[in-house]
Amino acid sequence: MAEFSPTILAFCCNWCSYAGADLAGVSRLQMPPNIHIIRVMCSASVKPEYVLKAISGGVDGVLVLGCHIGDCHYMTGNHRTAKRMPLVQKVLKEVGIDEKRLRLDWVSASEGEKFQKVVTDFVDEVKQLGPNPMRGVKW
Amino acid sequence: MVNDLGRKLAKLAFEERGADMLLVMREEHGNVVPAMVPKGEDLGDVRLDIPYQLITILENIYPWVSKGRIAIITRRCDEKALAELVKRKYVDDKRIVRIGLACSEDQIRRCRCEDPVPSKVDLGEPHAAAKGDELISRLEKMSQQERLEFWAGQFKKCNKCFGCTLNCPVCFCDDDCVLEDRTFVAEPSVPPGLSFHMIRSYHMIDKCIECGECERSCPAEIPLLTMRKLLAKDMKELFKFRPGDEKTVSPLNTTLEGEQLEDGCDEC
Repeated sequence: MAEFSPTILAFCCNWCSYAGADLAGVSRLQMPPNIHIIRVMCSASVKPEYVLKAISGGVDGVLVLGCHIGDCHYMTGNHRTAKRMPLVQKVLKEVGIDEKRLRLDWVSASEGEKFQKVVTDFVDEVKQLGPNPMRGVKW
Repeated sequence: MVNDLGRKLAKLAFEERGADMLLVMREEHGNVVPAMVPKGEDLGDVRLDIPYQLITILENIYPWVSKGRIAIITRRCDEKALAELVKRKYVDDKRIVRIGLACSEDQIRRCRCEDPVPSKVDLGEPHAAAKGDELISRLEKMSQQERLEFWAGQFKKCNKCFGCTLNCPVCFCDDDCVLEDRTFVAEPSVPPGLSFHMIRSYHMIDKCIECGECERSCPAEIPLLTMRKLLAKDMKELFKFRPGDEKTVSPLNTTLEGEQLEDGCDEC
């Protein structure tokens, strides 16, 4: 059987993480091709609903990337994210989905290498977790 | 015709606390219905067996009652719901007169309530809190897989009647409820899937006052109150926050240093 290849959504904020991803690409850093990047204006515009909907829809992992705390283009946008995402993880945990399927991290525009590292780590972790159990649930 | 309870209530609300109208449950033609009775009018056959949150009724009629002070019978959970409404400026605190009602043992057992006594008891006898939820201890022993199976099995029974949202005293996003948005919950889908319940759980996380109305109004008997209690516990562990207090600000509306964020987003 072929190795499990997860589908991962990555929400990247326009000002830091997307630029970081760009830098990683321009620097030709090797990364697993499992991530699908969605560019958002701020990590705070990633509604928890998007994450929950994606995971209940069968996505194997969701990565939310924003600017470092204090560097947010909108001053306190990432503070909101930093408070929301742990709660979303708790919701996932209580329902019986591994909370590691959602990860929040900070990547600045100059951190192409960190972007590569975060993505590689997350893909490895989700590979170990296996496919999203929601795929097997018939409604 | 006024019964003894009605006389007691009228004295408390109108004479002692200066209310202009009283929101009560009373018997009319064999049914117990909510009624807003102005001062001086016949209270009728007033009942104390309130089958749902009177606060939900208050919330619905409040925009149409432009002046006067409203007296309302509040259990502990009603009090907390009022605090959440006042905090979000849906209701003016100065226009509400609270008449505290202590829950019966039976009710406490049904809600697995841990905080049943109102701040001021005017009616009823205060009883001790329940010892905790049996289902929670069962769920905590389960593995992740078993838990998902349990909840998926429960949520499969959902027929998307929206009873849990309509009857919830602290569900306020009336017209822009995301659960009615096709983006998140497909329109013809019954059952609506796990995302419906996860999104609702997340939305309630910083305001659920554990009244158990969602569970009581659920025709499919999904143990929704247990889910709320589980998440309230997580909320307490993460941010040391418990909804139902006028003075505390939801951690979702503050920065990491605890400063209030400028725009008060009611939704979160």
